[in-house]
Amino acid sequence: MVALKTAEKLNLEYKSSLEAISNRLTKCQQEHSKCAHHLCSVEQELQASKGREHALQEQLLKETSEHQERFYEQLKRCSELEVQMQKEIEFRRQAELTADAAKEKASAVEKELLIISENSEREKNRLQLSFSHSQDESKLLFSRVNAELDRKRIQADNFAKEAELLRKSLLDLKEQLNECLHEKSQLEYKLLSCDSPLVKANPSENQTLVKHLRDELRKAETELHEARQLKSSHANKEFLTEQLLEEKGRREKVEMELTRFQEVQLHAQRLESELTSWKSLLKQIPDVSCYDDIPKKIAYLQKEIVENMLKVGEGNARLKELQVALEMSNLSKEHTEKECKLAKEKTECTSMEVKRLELMLLSVSGECEKLKKDAVNWSKQKSGLPGSGQTNETDLETLLEQKEHAIRELGRNLCQQRESINRQHDEIKVLNENFRIEAKNVKSLERENERLRSENSLLELKLGHGDYSVENTKVLRMVNTLGINNEAKHTIETLQTELQKAKSKLQAIEELREYSGEVITTGIPEKLSQLKGQIAVLEKREERYKAVFAEKISVFRRACCSLFGYKIVMDDRQRPNGIPVTRFTLQSIYAQNDDEKLEFDYESGIATILVNEYTSQQEIQHQPIPCNCWAPPLSVLRDLFSLPQVSSPPQLFSRPPWLSAVLLVSRPQLSRLLIAHLAASAAHQDAVAASPVRNSPRYSFFSASSPGHHFSSPSRSYSASLHPRPPVLFSRPMFFFSLAAASARLLLYCPWPPVFCPFSSSQQVVSSLSGHVS
Amino acid sequence: MFQATWILYGCSELELNSLLAFQPLEDLNPIASSSHFPPPSPSLPKIFFNTYSSMASRTVSKDVITLKGSAAIVAEFFGYAANSILYNRGIYPEESFTKVKKYGLSMLLTQDDDVKSFMASITSQLSEWLEAGKLQRAVLVIMSKSSSEVLERWNFNIETDSEVIEKGVSREKCDKEIMREIQAIMRQIASSITYLPCFDEPCVFDVLAYTDKDVAVPFSWTESDAKLISNPQMVKLHSFDTKIHKVDTMVSYKADEWDEEE
Repeated sequence: MVALKTAEKLNLEYKSSLEAISNRLTKCQQEHSKCAHHLCSVEQELQASKGREHALQEQLLKETSEHQERFYEQLKRCSELEVQMQKEIEFRRQAELTADAAKEKASAVEKELLIISENSEREKNRLQLSFSHSQDESKLLFSRVNAELDRKRIQADNFAKEAELLRKSLLDLKEQLNECLHEKSQLEYKLLSCDSPLVKANPSENQTLVKHLRDELRKAETELHEARQLKSSHANKEFLTEQLLEEKGRREKVEMELTRFQEVQLHAQRLESELTSWKSLLKQIPDVSCYDDIPKKIAYLQKEIVENMLKVGEGNARLKELQVALEMSNLSKEHTEKECKLAKEKTECTSMEVKRLELMLLSVSGECEKLKKDAVNWSKQKSGLPGSGQTNETDLETLLEQKEHAIRELGRNLCQQRESINRQHDEIKVLNENFRIEAKNVKSLERENERLRSENSLLELKLGHGDYSVENTKVLRMVNTLGINNEAKHTIETLQTELQKAKSKLQAIEELREYSGEVITTGIPEKLSQLKGQIAVLEKREERYKAVFAEKISVFRRACCSLFGYKIVMDDRQRPNGIPVTRFTLQSIYAQNDDEKLEFDYESGIATILVNEYTSQQEIQHQPIPCNCWAPPLSVLRDLFSLPQVSSPPQLFSRPPWLSAVLLVSRPQLSRLLIAHLAASAAHQDAVAASPVRNSPRYSFFSASSPGHHFSSPSRSYSASLHPRPPVLFSRPMFFFSLAAASARLLLYCPWPPVFCPFSSSQQVVSSLSGHVS
Repeated sequence: MFQATWILYGCSELELNSLLAFQPLEDLNPIASSSHFPPPSPSLPKIFFNTYSSMASRTVSKDVITLKGSAAIVAEFFGYAANSILYNRGIYPEESFTKVKKYGLSMLLTQDDDVKSFMASITSQLSEWLEAGKLQRAVLVIMSKSSSEVLERWNFNIETDSEVIEKGVSREKCDKEIMREIQAIMRQIASSITYLPCFDEPCVFDVLAYTDKDVAVPFSWTESDAKLISNPQMVKLHSFDTKIHKVDTMVSYKADEWDEEE
């Protein structure tokens, strides 16, 4: 019973334990199912992780291949950049070589410059010496001319004094002569009146008287000779005064020349200073020694500019290439940075995943351990109750083994992944290093870029400065006359016309040159020398002509002066309005002072008398002066010229015949007689009337048709009459001038000495003349 | 009602204005009137006349620009710019200038007859060169009257489209855009007095033209040096482009002694 009871108890206990175990088994089964579920989920997760791992591996592979490609690209770029750098280095070397060559050239040119500057200095010194020499010479010449002038002046003064003295003596002698003549006439009269008884009575006395008279006559003749000498000296004096005037003119000219010389000197100094400034400027310009070098230098500089421009172009192109490369590298840099970030993120993700998997593995392994323990416990329990539990245990064990295997595989995968991650880390490190190198490269490129940009801007500045290439550009300037006054404008215009002419000439010469080709070019030096010779000969001839002309003209002037009694001075002047005009000044050799002269402006065939003190005198002012009708009738002149041929004594007319006539005519009474004769002459219808006015006789033409009205008609038919107070029409100078002009005309047609036809009444004139004198 | 309108093909409004500026007044009369039919003028080769009925609309093709028109625009621009410079820089007294509306601005034009004729001859010559594509640059130089020292250089750098010169093709650009660009330059010229140094002596001006080497020198022009300023200060101004001629403007000037001291 007890045993039963115990057995029952045991049974109950077993039942309860069975129940508990069955409960536990159900629990275990539940747990097992849970575990199986868990295992399934783990397996799924494992599969998923495998898939993920596979995807990651593929991605990694892809990335690595991409990285490798990129790396190769970078390497390629690096090699390209290296090649470029080497090229740059070569360029630099070449540039250095050219710079050295240029320096050598510069030194050579500097030496040349020194030599040339020395030469120029020497030349300058020589020129200065010659200049000072010429200056001294001119000074000497000037002083000599001054001395000469003074000498001449003193001589002229002396001559004037002498002439004055001689004139006085002449007057005395004239008086004496008059007295003598008077005495002679008285004696003749006496002789005539006394008649022969006296002669008869005392012939010896008569003889002595005749002798005495003859002596007196001789004396008178000698006196007359002296008087003639005096007259000639007077003429000499006039000539000398003229010479003095000429000398004065020359002196003025010399003074003018001196002022001009000073101006020229100043100009020369200015030019010298300019020259020095230019030289200093030349010195400042490197590689330039003389003016001829400037165009070369400019050409050289332009070449340099062109080269620089080309270099700039190349630089710009390179810069652009570099910029493009920089941008590319920047882009790749950004790309790689992004990739790096992505890779980092991925690695972080994978590490997180690994950690998670590790944690999961730990939890799974813990669970496995638990399950193992449970399984051990279970097996221990089962060892008491073998049967159905054995199979479960083996299943669980196999499952466990599988799980362990899977776990081991997972661990292995994890290790592989770690390795791959480490590898990726290494790759990233390498890429980072590459990236750093690339960044350095980029920085250097940026620096170069900056340098090139600055160079570019410098060259752009140069370009903006206004530089240009002479080879394909020329600078033209519009001729600007805005700031120039009218005079300068006029000169510019004339210069422009001259320039135009010169250009056309040049063009013609060039055409001729082209036409004649090489023939001219080959014979140019010979031709040049020949032409120079010709020029020299022509110059010499011109000088000779000038000298001859000067001689002849002075002779002509003197002759005119002595023949016509008028000094004619021609002078070119300019009116205030700038129109050139020729001025003639007429001055009689009998003029009492220098102001007694007539001035005429001669312009395009019309002569106009100018008002001066002399012409403004009332008597002269009243006279209408027909400027183009000065010439007296030729008949008057002919009569005047014919006078000396019949006159006696001949000594009286030893001077130019008509002048003597004029001299005679200057005596009022004489002239009246002359006019009377002229009036009587049937050959003439014109006449001259003369009346003494203020000691200087003046002559008038007046009409015969209306004797009371002077110059009533412009007709040329005049006749002479002794008017009680003849109207004054022409002053003496006017008459003389007209006479001179007419004589000049006459002389043109008549041979010299002029042969005049004497006419019958001339003798009467002279006889009446002599009668009047007596 | 029948009405006639003048349609101008092949040139923009700005171009037309420029062309009209160079035409004698009698040639322009037909354009001004719109009530009768004048015969087409042979002196306007690029302008074609046509009639439209009923609609009194004036249609202008604005985008096409020819070489002649472009040259006229650039030459006219140079004339106005030079006048503006002369006024703003005080080369001539301000009484001798009068205001006119141009480029949407009130521009100042000289009334001095000499200067006017001088500028007219310059612009006509520049226009001729521009049409031939021979002008590279036009420079207005301001110099001291007493010492002839160059104080300022106004550079108008001109780039010509070689294709237009060679083939005679036309380009397209809106005239308003060109006008806006020119306006900007004119504004800059007017405002340049703020930074350019003052002239303390009477000045004169000169015009230089950088041309191709093969250009024959006209009678009133002579070859010259570039009249450069040593060590100049430079200010780049705006540029304008007619698609045939591109004009870059730049002013270089002698640095003020005060600035150098500083």
